Amino acid sequence: MMNAPDREDAVLDCRGAMTRLFDLLDGELTPERELKVRTHITGCPECFAHADFEERFLKAVRTARQTGVASGALRERVVQALRADGWTG
Amino acid sequence: MMSDAPAPPEPHAEFSALALTALDDVYRFARSLTRDEADAEDVVQETYLRAFRSWHTFQTGTDVRRWLFTIARNVFLRSRERGQREVTLDADGAEAVDAAQALEGWVVRGLDPILDRADLGPAIREALAEIPEGYRDAVVLVDLEDQSYEGAAEVLGIPVGTVRSRLFRGRKLLQERLAKHAQDAGFVSPAARGTTGSAPRSEA
Repeated sequence: MMNAPDREDAVLDCRGAMTRLFDLLDGELTPERELKVRTHITGCPECFAHADFEERFLKAVRTARQTGVASGALRERVVQALRADGWTG
Repeated sequence: MMSDAPAPPEPHAEFSALALTALDDVYRFARSLTRDEADAEDVVQETYLRAFRSWHTFQTGTDVRRWLFTIARNVFLRSRERGQREVTLDADGAEAVDAAQALEGWVVRGLDPILDRADLGPAIREALAEIPEGYRDAVVLVDLEDQSYEGAAEVLGIPVGTVRSRLFRGRKLLQERLAKHAQDAGFVSPAARGTTGSAPRSEA
């Protein structure tokens, strides 16, 4: 159902490669398609720069993951609620 | 002597070993949904109660975090009883690379020099909180909680293609917000906003 112009036998142009860029960076492509996209990016200075930017952006976002953990009070609250519900673990 | 037959898995112990060990993850996801500490704690408690009652439906060997996230999101949606629905998003998943082409050049030029900064986390979290919920949920699940497109689709109850579309748009919105934050914080020169275009790197 996807609208991307991604016929397997086609050589990717810039538009096709950039349409699949996030799929590539997210590890969502088949090996064959990944190869096609990587091949284009490697040989295209503009797409290479764009891919570099997006890759670094995603890396920055991933490092922004909250490090906070559930408090002891919340943990205890959950455990008490489960016990009241019959949990015996 | 006791029977030779191995004892069946003890559901309560299994629940403890699998579900309860994901409590930090569920709490973090609930915080991203509610953006409120007290509300998040309520969601977590309700999530675990529902999970415990439905534990027999959990398929051992599948992703317990995905299963708990799905419940947490349903709990969260239920808790918003005012009938306020999710923001309406483009339903056809047709967002494509054209949006990327339209991304203002100043956003890219502004972000590019600062993406490797170690102190960017708070600004990213702030920017993330500002983007519409449907997009934010997709970004949180895939980028922060390491879910696949398929996993995010399952949690959000939407097609994979829609996850892909929301993720794309969500990331672009996040970049715009982040660039504004960076500019406000003095990381980016306002002069960088002079021109538009889609060049990903600043040219000499």
